[in-house]
Amino acid sequence: MTASPSENSVSEAAAALDEFADRVAGAVGGRAEVSHGTVKVRVASSAWKEALTVTSGDLGLVFLSWLSAIDWTNEVAVGDEPDEPVEERYELLCAVSNLSDGNLAIISTDLDHDSPSIASVADVYPGANWHEREAAEMFGIDFVGHPDLTKLYLPDSFEGHPLRKDFPLLSREVKPWPGKVDVEDMPENGSSPSTENPGA
Amino acid sequence: MSLELTFWWLLAIKLAVAAAVVPVIGMVIGYAEMKLSAHMQSRVGPYFAGGRFGWAQLIADGVKFIQKEDIIPEKADRPVFKWAPALVMLGTMALLVIVPLHPSSRYGIVRDLEVGIFYALAISSVSTIGVLMAGWSSANKYSMIGGLRAAGQLIAYELPLVLATVGVVIQAGTMSMQGIVSAQVAQGWPFALTQFIGFAIFMIATLAELTRLPFDMPIAESELVMGYVTEYSGFRFLFFFLAEFANMFSMSVIAATLFLGGYGLWGINPETLLSPIILFAKVGVLVFLMIWLRWTLPRLREDQLQTLAWKWLIPISILNIIVTAVLKVVI
Amino acid sequence: MEGTFAHHLSEAAVSVELETEGMTLNIGPQHPSTHGVLRLIATVDGERATNVRPVIGYMHRGYEKLSEVRTYPQIITIINRIDWVSGFANEVPFVVAAERLMGVEAPPRAQWIRLVLTEMARISSHLVFMASYPLELGAATPLFFALRERERVLDLLESVTGGRFHPNFNRIGGVKPVYAAGPTTKKAGMDIPSGFLAETRDAMTKVLATCEEIENLVAGNEVFLARTKNVGVLPVDVGASYGVSGPNLRASGAGFDLRTVSDYLPYAEFDFDVPVGRNGDCWDRWWVRLEEIRQSARIITQAIDGLPSSPLQAKVPRIIKVPAGETYVRAENPKGEMGYHLVSLGGLGPYRLKIRSASFSNLSILPWILEEALVPDFIAIMGSLDFVLGDVDR
Repeated sequence: MTASPSENSVSEAAAALDEFADRVAGAVGGRAEVSHGTVKVRVASSAWKEALTVTSGDLGLVFLSWLSAIDWTNEVAVGDEPDEPVEERYELLCAVSNLSDGNLAIISTDLDHDSPSIASVADVYPGANWHEREAAEMFGIDFVGHPDLTKLYLPDSFEGHPLRKDFPLLSREVKPWPGKVDVEDMPENGSSPSTENPGA
Repeated sequence: MSLELTFWWLLAIKLAVAAAVVPVIGMVIGYAEMKLSAHMQSRVGPYFAGGRFGWAQLIADGVKFIQKEDIIPEKADRPVFKWAPALVMLGTMALLVIVPLHPSSRYGIVRDLEVGIFYALAISSVSTIGVLMAGWSSANKYSMIGGLRAAGQLIAYELPLVLATVGVVIQAGTMSMQGIVSAQVAQGWPFALTQFIGFAIFMIATLAELTRLPFDMPIAESELVMGYVTEYSGFRFLFFFLAEFANMFSMSVIAATLFLGGYGLWGINPETLLSPIILFAKVGVLVFLMIWLRWTLPRLREDQLQTLAWKWLIPISILNIIVTAVLKVVI
Repeated sequence: MEGTFAHHLSEAAVSVELETEGMTLNIGPQHPSTHGVLRLIATVDGERATNVRPVIGYMHRGYEKLSEVRTYPQIITIINRIDWVSGFANEVPFVVAAERLMGVEAPPRAQWIRLVLTEMARISSHLVFMASYPLELGAATPLFFALRERERVLDLLESVTGGRFHPNFNRIGGVKPVYAAGPTTKKAGMDIPSGFLAETRDAMTKVLATCEEIENLVAGNEVFLARTKNVGVLPVDVGASYGVSGPNLRASGAGFDLRTVSDYLPYAEFDFDVPVGRNGDCWDRWWVRLEEIRQSARIITQAIDGLPSSPLQAKVPRIIKVPAGETYVRAENPKGEMGYHLVSLGGLGPYRLKIRSASFSNLSILPWILEEALVPDFIAIMGSLDFVLGDVDR
């Protein structure tokens, strides 16, 4: 979002991004989506490690930006519920980038919601080691082949996986967020604002 | 009989003064370091204690330390832990005994020894043993590493320290401190002019002996928390604290005596009472130099320190001795 | 076989090995140079480490979970506490991510002000490094020179945002309108404070002078060079595969700066260099940061010279609801790449907000880079990576 981009440069940039997305998708054998300037390539979970091996090798996306997950579910203990039912799953995301023009691709795969498990990529991108430990403790995803899948942030005795949507935020259970009041009192909005508390 | 009594009384008074001087000197230098470092760093430093310029800051600090609880770690080797600070302090006090303040041995010096330098260098190592004891007995890994570093440092820097003084001894032809000063007063110029290599090596080695920056690895706050003093608190910590500054003084006194002509100054009769003042002025310059370096330089690494000692200082000081000896014979 | 000489020899070798035992040295979580609460479990043989295991999480505040129960404006207040030495810079990528999903663009003046304040955050963050790094190596004096200058920059930040560390100044669709003077001049004063531009220009001159001063004080120092040159060398490919970013990666020789390749702020309109190191050692990491202060001062000077005039806020609804979608916006923060992967379902708050913080990845290199290092070099290397534990644990 430059201050005053000409229409041409914007469309050129978009075309370049599409081309990059197609190239990555072709190489890893996935399906490319471009939304709001972000390239996401969906691959099958069985092809996860293979895809990231390709990105780190032939595609030259040597920089590991991050690896994390999203808990897609219809029953949430905190936050908004999806308006339309979503397919229950964990979406595992790994953002990789090159070091020249800054093109970044998020490789994505879906994991089973009941027993999420996937091959570790810690030997492909060594930095994934900590990210996978984080995802394992926060979402309960099992990374097969990880050298040391212990807890990263949480104490060893901690039970549960905090970033799962069914994990309640206890302080919210005890005392609702005052933000709710603010939202209700806001005037001059055509349709009445959602009284839905973003908190629990 | 009356002569005997006078002698013993005088000795007792001198020893009492030497003992009292250590904490006072420690406080003065400690205060100087606070103020000087502050001004080097665009700060004002101590300001309120004592009304003006914070002159009573160190007295207040001392009172605070004495009030604090004397904590001894459960796993510590208690007798060793307790006696380590005393030993550090003892080394400092014993060193001041041989410092010549005045040509008259009556009130200028506690005791003039034939082997003055030998005694000084030997006794200056005692405090390092105290440091090693502190490091060992604290039952703390940081203290342990700090104590071992101190021991390594002592071994590495004792040699150049001794070797650097040999040149002076050769030139003066005596090991007595009083004799060395007299030799310099007699010839009219200090040995630093001819023994400048020895002087530089002596000062570097002194910094290492004192474990002050850039050689403060035994303490190294950012690495070893506080090194061998980590577990000390209260007045035992105060002992280390004062001993550091008093040690600076005593080592500077020896350096000034050996290399800068002691109480002698060109054109001034050494028999007057100006002599001690001249000596203290010279010491002040050396102490300032140490403080200046302390607040300018980062810390070396242990292996770099050893390299400096064994590969540079010791060969150079040996070379210095050879050259001095040859010239002494030739000229 | 039992009685052979070789057998005895091998027996002897085994017993000799058993005599030396590695010591486990526990550094932190309370330690003078861990920049917060980091714990290292190091196995050392003498002073040389054989194995280092960082333990983090003492500062974990769960911002990703907290974000799921907050509205978008509320999130801005917590995310500038991630990397507290450059609070303002944390806000920008999040706000840009929300704007992208909403299809809103901040007016040019707001974007330029964001840019100026981001660069100020960079200067203040790097000055903290300039202050703390020599201190970790034992030199206390540069601390005061650097912090004095940082205070100047923080004063400027405060004059605009009202906060030194946690500005909370960004709004979705622009920046918070500032009332420069009293209540009577509200309408006229909805802009940055008068005098800000002149003071900034003045402060930048002083910052540059201090850079010169610090360079003279530190860079010419033999002991400093001996402690940093060829210590903790990090090759680019290793750094990249661990996700090390920002000045740490540029010191290794990668000229990769998100300001030049990404468009989260209008950096394309500015003329600045990206300093790149050669060896990737501690010295290069120090030098790159010093140069970056100079470049940031250069950017700020250009920006205040050509600050465009426009409103500070784009038209956005009173109640911010971000349409469904997802995007990842990353920015070049002082510590490295900071990014937010924002997943919205169209509600008042995000469905999921993944915070990619720079220090987390920069710290994950520690087991690799500290292997076989000496204990004194631990501190030199850790300090040169310039991490903040709030940025690691989030």
